[in-house]
Amino acid sequence: MKKILDYARKNLFLSFVILVYALLLIFKTPLALGAIKNSGYYFKEMLFIMPVILLLTALLNAWVPKETIQKHLGSGSGFKGSVFSFILGSISAGPIYAAFPVAITLLKKGASVTNVVVLLSSWAVVKIPMLANEAKFLGPKFMLMRWVLTTIAIFLTGAICSKFVSREEILELHPEEDSLEQLSLDSEFCIGCGVCVKLDPAHFAMLGKKAEVISLKNLQTPELIKAVQSCPVQIIHLETSSPRLKAKTAPARS
Amino acid sequence: MDIFTLILWVITLIWFFYSIFKDRKKTLNSVKMSSGMMKNIAGDILAVLLMIGLLLTIIPPESLEAFLVKNNTFMATIFFAFLGSITLIPAFVAFPLAGSLAKAGAGIMPIVAFITTLTMVGIVTFPLEKKEFGMKFVLIRNGLSFAFAIFIAVVMGVLL
Repeated sequence: MKKILDYARKNLFLSFVILVYALLLIFKTPLALGAIKNSGYYFKEMLFIMPVILLLTALLNAWVPKETIQKHLGSGSGFKGSVFSFILGSISAGPIYAAFPVAITLLKKGASVTNVVVLLSSWAVVKIPMLANEAKFLGPKFMLMRWVLTTIAIFLTGAICSKFVSREEILELHPEEDSLEQLSLDSEFCIGCGVCVKLDPAHFAMLGKKAEVISLKNLQTPELIKAVQSCPVQIIHLETSSPRLKAKTAPARS
Repeated sequence: MDIFTLILWVITLIWFFYSIFKDRKKTLNSVKMSSGMMKNIAGDILAVLLMIGLLLTIIPPESLEAFLVKNNTFMATIFFAFLGSITLIPAFVAFPLAGSLAKAGAGIMPIVAFITTLTMVGIVTFPLEKKEFGMKFVLIRNGLSFAFAIFIAVVMGVLL
């Protein structure tokens, strides 16, 4: 019960919507049932798109180096970077909320605010199947003109947004996710020897018979590196942005 | 599933299997991390979907013709821009609807405003976007998009 309450408090919007539905179910049953039926289409759409977005963000995280994103989508990428984001947004599938995790992942990897806005807006607005549909119902001239004007608007919105909102401001909203990629421990394979806790009590503690990561701050201390290297089963993974440290702490497993 | 979603699936799956093959542990760790991120927003996405369903039931798209304000194009444009901002309607509903609105006598301006804000401005997705990007970002992005939608509508109304 407490868990449900906690979840409800953390997801106020969902709680509110469910409350509205509950009231409608009681007082206006057919309306509520109609709404549930109408939501069905969107629910299906979500099930088709979200798993692939999950995989995509995971793969982006794992394989696309920060430097690549920084170079092509970062603040130094200029107009070319925005065009690239625009194409990326235009060819991708799914509703705008599917773009959020992708945008956050790219932002963490060094994409600029301008390019993130361009990606989000073009993801939402410019869809190639939609353009075909628009031409069919409203005429090709109408479609083309609206497309050109919308494209200009998207680029301008991106440029203006970056003047008011900084990358850091947005990244502040994602602290724990951001640091998760830097230090982790596969407790599944922990043998509970306690060496890491002894060497670096600032980052590790014994939780029952297994070691756990307790802090994700100051990931460059010599104690931490020593602890990572000393783990007899090599289950502590440390990834920092400095290549020197990375090379040193990479698990020496064949 | 439309062809673009399908292509995205195919490309991502190929990449995923290649990734598993290359480094199983790294891949799985990364997926675990992304799952955490998804779990964070899953509740909000669900709320958004239920909200859209509710809005479409209370204001069925077909009934919009009744809202047509024929005598004042500018007011109609603003009104339709707001209407478009509220919800997310899939393209296969939105464009036929816009087509029938045009037939029913709506001017170019309200229609352009409607379909532009429909996709570019999201009031239903507002809480979700705010959680991910912060209040300032959402206000600026959506505010600008709304203003541009009106601007695009006016330009197209004058030119077409």
